[in-house]
Amino acid sequence: MGEEKGGFEPKIVGFTCNWCTYAGADLAGTSRKKYPPNARLIRMMCTARFDPMFAFKALLNGADGVFISGCHPGECHYIKGNFYARRRIAAMRTILKQLGLDDRVKSYWISASEGVKFANTMKNITEEIRELGPNPMRDKIL
Amino acid sequence: MKGTELNYGDLEGVFKGLLENKVVDCLIMPRRVGNSVSYMLVRDKDKIATPESVIFAPSFGVNAANIVKGWMIAEKVGIVAKPCEIRAAIELIKLTQLNEDSVLLITVDCAGAFANEVYAANYADIGDHVDSAKIKELAGKGISIRDACAICDNRLADVGDIAIAQAGGEKAVVAGLTEKGEEALSAAGLSLEDKELDRAAEKEKIAAEAKQNLEGLPKISSEEALEEFLRDCIVCKNCRDVCPVCYCKECFFDQPLGNPAGGDLLNLAEARGAIEVPTNQLLYHLTRVYHVSTTCVACGACEDACPKDIPLTRFYPVLAKKVQEVFEYVPGKDAKEPLPFTTYEEDELEECLR
Ligand code: SF4
Ligand code: SF4
Ligand code: SF4
Repeated sequence: MGEEKGGFEPKIVGFTCNWCTYAGADLAGTSRKKYPPNARLIRMMCTARFDPMFAFKALLNGADGVFISGCHPGECHYIKGNFYARRRIAAMRTILKQLGLDDRVKSYWISASEGVKFANTMKNITEEIRELGPNPMRDKIL
Repeated sequence: MKGTELNYGDLEGVFKGLLENKVVDCLIMPRRVGNSVSYMLVRDKDKIATPESVIFAPSFGVNAANIVKGWMIAEKVGIVAKPCEIRAAIELIKLTQLNEDSVLLITVDCAGAFANEVYAANYADIGDHVDSAKIKELAGKGISIRDACAICDNRLADVGDIAIAQAGGEKAVVAGLTEKGEEALSAAGLSLEDKELDRAAEKEKIAAEAKQNLEGLPKISSEEALEEFLRDCIVCKNCRDVCPVCYCKECFFDQPLGNPAGGDLLNLAEARGAIEVPTNQLLYHLTRVYHVSTTCVACGACEDACPKDIPLTRFYPVLAKKVQEVFEYVPGKDAKEPLPFTTYEEDELEECLR
């Protein structure tokens, strides 16, 4: 990507739920909110589908940043999927923090009506990850 | 609580009584083989001899819960083991890998244990049982308990159905911790009286020591440090196979996605330019530590089993403890408490997601 043209463009993998954040991203698009295109979204039906191994794998394969985002707690399309997801994400991030690997991982709650929040979040995460620089695992033989 | 104080010599009768009166169909309990200690599955009471010489032995080989993992049988199995092993069995009950109605969990006080080969090699110095003073004295001679034991704050027999607690001298208190335990002891022929096992002060002392030892363990706190720590791992997955709470019928890392070969590997190498083969260590250990993060009983069996001498206690129990603190969960402490990943509160944990 733009690396040669100066400036590092982080690659970010986002795990988003179908009903909220993915729809929020759609809304940002249809309402023509501008945001950096660095995040590749992977649509899941619910954040409860998120398995921390996905994040480990993305990071080990060189993603510069990873985020998980779904409906606000209490607003899950499947009533309580994101309550369970939150426990798993908390466990994963607790482990990553201990190992000093958590700064490239983020989690958010963004609803279908929060197109602006989605766009701003993408701006922020892209800046934060750009600040950190490329994931050192990117060039390693792992 | 109901129980009774016995001389060491009377313990044999208790175990025999459990079998003889069909309270259990079999017992899994330690046995002595020369200077070593291992487990036996015993059905014939006459095979039990001088158990007092071995049930308190500070030797750790396998985690007894790992023996019965997945045994969903109707026969009643009594397990005589150390607190971390019984706690693992309780987690297995919660994970539906062990039938609660067909086990009788008998927990023995532990002062900390030596790796079984260290124990056998130094039997003359260590003997049949130790206390904390003796452990310090032995450490002075370069004979040390396992790291997992040094950081263990759950050494007293206070989980399971029956406790066998050291009562000083050659005496032990045998007490029921649950109704099932009390009934079992009565059925085995013991006459029980009201008994208090109040060891709060001792527990506090152990916890303080354990905390200090935990703080003394080297930390793995960066990506480089983690890679360095795992550098020599050959991903033999022994640490998984001996782990009592790693219970999947087919481990992810034995499936094609977790253990890619042939064309799948070529595709990965195509995407990355080059990849490590047979396989990189990081994904395996990160995933496994997440899988056991709420249920790891910190028994140290993984470290003992590592053929490459990787000090895994600094990884598995240490990281799991942090996760368990988040959920205020002590694995195996309370059979009725739900596993953290099977429950939730509506308002919680947001601070962990920042
Ligand atoms: S037992 Fe040791 S060498 Fe084998 S997978 Fe575990 S850490 Fe690696
Ligand atoms: S991860 Fe290691 S310390 Fe934890 S329960 Fe498994 S074998 Fe024991
Ligand atoms: S490492 Fe994970 S997938 Fe493999 S057996 Fe253990 S819990 Fe199951």
